[in-house]
Amino acid sequence: MPREAEPSLSERTFTLQAISEGLRVLAKVSAEVTVPFPDRPFDGIFQITSELGPMVAPSYEVNRPTETEVLLARLLEKTIRRSGALDTESLCLVAGQKCWSVRVDLHVLSADGNLIDSACFAVVAALRHFRKPDTSIEGETLTVYTPAEREPVPLSWLHSPFCATFDFFGDEGDIVVVDTTWLEEQLRVASCTFSLNKHGEICQISKLGGRPIEATLVIQCAQMALDKVKEFTDLLDAKLAEDAKRRDKGGLMAELSAENDR
Amino acid sequence: MAPPSAELSHLPKADGSANFSFGGYTITAAVNGPVEAQRRDENPFEALVDVNVRPAAGVGGTAERQLEAILQPALRHLIAIRNFPRCVVQVTLQVMEAPENAYVNSKVMQPRLNLGIIPSLLHAAMLGLLTAAIPLNTVASATCLAITNADEGTAIKVDPSRTEIDQATSVHVLGFTADGDLLLAESEGSFTAEEWDRVLQTAENVCCRGQETGNDAEMGGYGAESENVLHFMRSVLEAKAAESLHWR
Repeated sequence: MPREAEPSLSERTFTLQAISEGLRVLAKVSAEVTVPFPDRPFDGIFQITSELGPMVAPSYEVNRPTETEVLLARLLEKTIRRSGALDTESLCLVAGQKCWSVRVDLHVLSADGNLIDSACFAVVAALRHFRKPDTSIEGETLTVYTPAEREPVPLSWLHSPFCATFDFFGDEGDIVVVDTTWLEEQLRVASCTFSLNKHGEICQISKLGGRPIEATLVIQCAQMALDKVKEFTDLLDAKLAEDAKRRDKGGLMAELSAENDR
Repeated sequence: MAPPSAELSHLPKADGSANFSFGGYTITAAVNGPVEAQRRDENPFEALVDVNVRPAAGVGGTAERQLEAILQPALRHLIAIRNFPRCVVQVTLQVMEAPENAYVNSKVMQPRLNLGIIPSLLHAAMLGLLTAAIPLNTVASATCLAITNADEGTAIKVDPSRTEIDQATSVHVLGFTADGDLLLAESEGSFTAEEWDRVLQTAENVCCRGQETGNDAEMGGYGAESENVLHFMRSVLEAKAAESLHWR
């Protein structure tokens, strides 16, 4: 579980690592101007790609997605993209002609269990940390400003969904463990992932196979998931505020400004 | 320019791993090996070296494949491949950060060779191989040089920045083993044979300088401002070894 999140130190690389013991995830966001899909002229393009390479374990092959990877990609898709966390309409620049394409690349460097929660945290954090170049439209001409000309702007972010995974152990599946390690994950009888935001709005619940679980236990877990998500939100808000404060002093705009303090 | 920095064995699952940052580039290397090779690509006489470069943003394309094609033969010469027949040494190089220019909006997909990244990739791979305790014939270091056309003739810039590379007439990457043998040479742009000779000499000074003790006169020469990476690698590995043996 992300106990520690570290925004990247370099001034304009918008990466974020969710670091905990034995687990490192790097999410990198990039944006560029492209042509929107013909069937969705008013929407920008937003995609999340995740990769598990030989860095995690030698058994992971390059360009051959494993089941874990596919499940991770689908869950992130459901949690972040389909829940409308990013307002894709705001990425549209000229309807049907130009739009922003925002892309998140999730690189798993090492995984020791509980990959989904950390991956989701890293993606949300990176997107909220990201600043895209500012643009302006005058008539038909679109101008994309470089970071030196205008301070980049944040994405239009609507809500921050997080994942909370519960693993069930024991014959009845009545022992619940949060934040399992890889070894513990091998012994579980079932697992259930809740995706929700701090207001308790559930984006998805996935329980893929495993032993059946009591309905009351699932409701208890959902309640617990809300507490966990509130914890994540606080952690991320604190880290982003810290980072904003650090970025605020100096910066390229302050350097370029001719104003002097009297 | 900031001195190089490195973090060793920070990934618990890989046999060897290193994080190397220098000149705006941050590369994480993970080395696994020698592991059993797949039937289709096993070699009965020597170990296969599998280099995999992953970009920070986007999926790997032709540019990454070319970087792999440059690094793979270089690493093959360094690793004692004959010791491990039917095995594979996996070297995964993940670009964590690349220098960004505040005056240009970069495109995500740039299918163009970036020579400036090769030294960092090689150094990260070296540190990864060393922490994975893979038998090596020798160690190596590389440097990037750019020839710029100034008013007072051509000048050679060691470890050029991204803008300097853009303005340069030619860019060169040269790698040398610890014994001072040329390991890799890649060039881009137009240059004359004399310029190439100068580049070779400068690179040799940068990479192999200070190998012989008491060679202080050389220090004032070309590239004195850039740190000797082999020295740096030795010092971080010494520190790591001392830390690992601390319990004794």
